[in-house]
Amino acid sequence: MNIDLTIAIIITMVGASTPLLLAALGELVVEKSGVLNLGVEGMMLTGAVVGFAVTYTTGNPWLGILAAGFAGACVSMIFAFLTLSLFANQVATGLALTIFGAGFSALFGQAFTGKPIKLFKSIFPDYLTDHPILRVFFDHSPLVYFSLFMVFAVSYFLHKTRAGLVLRAVGENDHSAHSIGYSVIKVRYGAVGFGGMMAGIGGACFPLLLTPQWVEGLTGGRGWIALALVVFSAWKPTRLLAGAYLFGLIATMEVYAKAAGGGFRIIPSELWASLPYLATILVLVLISMRHKMSSSAPACLGKPFIPSN
Amino acid sequence: MQIRFEKKLEPSRKMLFATPILAVVLTMILGALIFSILGYDGLGAVREIFLTPLTNSLKWQDLAVKAAPLIIIGVGLSIGYRANVWNIGAEGQYIAGGLAATGMALLTHNMSGWYLLPLMGIAGMLGGMAWVFLPALLRTKLKVNEILTSLMLTYVAVQLLNYLIFGPWKSPTSFGQPQTVLFNDWQILPYIIKGTIVQAGAPIAVLIAIMAWLIMSKSVFGFQVRTVGSAPNAARYGGFSENKTIWLVLLISGGLAGLAGMLEVAGPFNRMVPQFPAGYGFTAIIVAFLGRLHPIGVLIAGVVLAITFVGGEIAQTTIGLPNAAVGLFQAMMLFLLLAGDVLVRYNIKIVRARRA
Repeated sequence: MNIDLTIAIIITMVGASTPLLLAALGELVVEKSGVLNLGVEGMMLTGAVVGFAVTYTTGNPWLGILAAGFAGACVSMIFAFLTLSLFANQVATGLALTIFGAGFSALFGQAFTGKPIKLFKSIFPDYLTDHPILRVFFDHSPLVYFSLFMVFAVSYFLHKTRAGLVLRAVGENDHSAHSIGYSVIKVRYGAVGFGGMMAGIGGACFPLLLTPQWVEGLTGGRGWIALALVVFSAWKPTRLLAGAYLFGLIATMEVYAKAAGGGFRIIPSELWASLPYLATILVLVLISMRHKMSSSAPACLGKPFIPSN
Repeated sequence: MQIRFEKKLEPSRKMLFATPILAVVLTMILGALIFSILGYDGLGAVREIFLTPLTNSLKWQDLAVKAAPLIIIGVGLSIGYRANVWNIGAEGQYIAGGLAATGMALLTHNMSGWYLLPLMGIAGMLGGMAWVFLPALLRTKLKVNEILTSLMLTYVAVQLLNYLIFGPWKSPTSFGQPQTVLFNDWQILPYIIKGTIVQAGAPIAVLIAIMAWLIMSKSVFGFQVRTVGSAPNAARYGGFSENKTIWLVLLISGGLAGLAGMLEVAGPFNRMVPQFPAGYGFTAIIVAFLGRLHPIGVLIAGVVLAITFVGGEIAQTTIGLPNAAVGLFQAMMLFLLLAGDVLVRYNIKIVRARRA
């Protein structure tokens, strides 16, 4: 295999992984606080359409990203209010959020069908992004560097800061955290909002980083794969990085397998397109065989918190 | 001043019935408001989506056609949700059922006889069950979450559909269109009322809802499902096998979704086409919740959601409201219903903050 192709594969893989990584990082923090938000797909779709709309109208992808994160956070507050303040069922509310995001993005995306935007390209000078070898480091969208930075930021926050400790305590034992004076509900509102922001930015990666156009339902279930990734990572940000890149590789394999020709050609493209979903199931199976999931999942995951007084 | 929630000793039955109605009414009010703010004709949208399908008797047939798959899938899902088993991949099971029925239709294409439709029905149910087999196996053997596995398989089902109708099943006489041949006369559902578009799917849906109601309220199985869902420890103590219950409710929901797929492909479509996955499997989730996970409730909720589908098409032609708006109305309905749940389980008290 030649070096040019290898580098091209790595760059495509990193791009395809980035929306997954961002959304899954957000959900990881949400779940660490003890909340299960199944609405990732809906928040990603919301972020995608808002990110596209703002980038298209202003011509500024940075504004698009900001708006996408803000929109994701806003819709996540519907979920937070229902589940945290009104104690609604988290599974059902998460599903509702996904249905909402699908409807919202379909409605507002219609006006943008067929309209072009520019990809959010690398900000490094040409001699770095065009260099045959060095481009593997520099020929990425700013979103890629942001996602990598967030892996370490989330990891640092959860394990090295006091606020991160409180968040984990709320997820592990909400009543104890409450009794020593921390506001369980406020912490969870914050975590859900962060998760919404990250999912929104992750969704905006589809039009800004992958294919610069509006297609209805463009996230294609990546939000659900992000949820599986969080389980796969055993709630550890660095393992999430590895998992997301593995999925990025699987998702981009079709293109390169076809280019490679030979025996790969006889595999129907529909089977390639199914691979990320089948791999997700396989990964879930492998994890549950290796260790009891209950040992690494936050103890209060998905359970409502009702203050006793 | 402070708002306090106090858990009721028992869920309020009155609120259990009132909140779905409240959710629909509030959706109409809020929907009119929001769509007006967005620059659409909000009042018109609500009128066309929620009322015109009921007042215009020409649309009643459409209601029956759209409600049938929603009710059949919704009944199956509601039984599972009762047991705390979250199959959200009904869309995939619906597609798999449609494909299995299509396979049977293609196999028997040069045969004739009344038995072809029952054969397709069985194939459809088996197809739906096959699509839920893996999630059931993984959930019971390895405790793998069925939410993710059932949903992932939905995307795989769509790919399988594409593979078959673009490849081996493509009709040689369809001028390159990705679709199968038309089914023969014995493979198409009969019309129950001459001169209408209502086929056998609608009465079957009603029958299934009534049967499910009897089974869930009168049989040991119904009791078992409810106990496993609401009090798993008591169920274990009482000798109900949790795994057996999971298997049963998943096979039932998968089988019913598959049957709905068969009734669609042998009904309105008459052949397999790329437009077959219409989202019924996802909307049926809303139907199950709006119907309070009760078969008769699901029957009514199926009609309500069918009204929004039919109304959405009307609103598109009469006031130019994009069809996607319907999805937003449906999601709003589910949000408001879930918010209303707090009234079922809690007493809300407004208390004055007292000085210590």
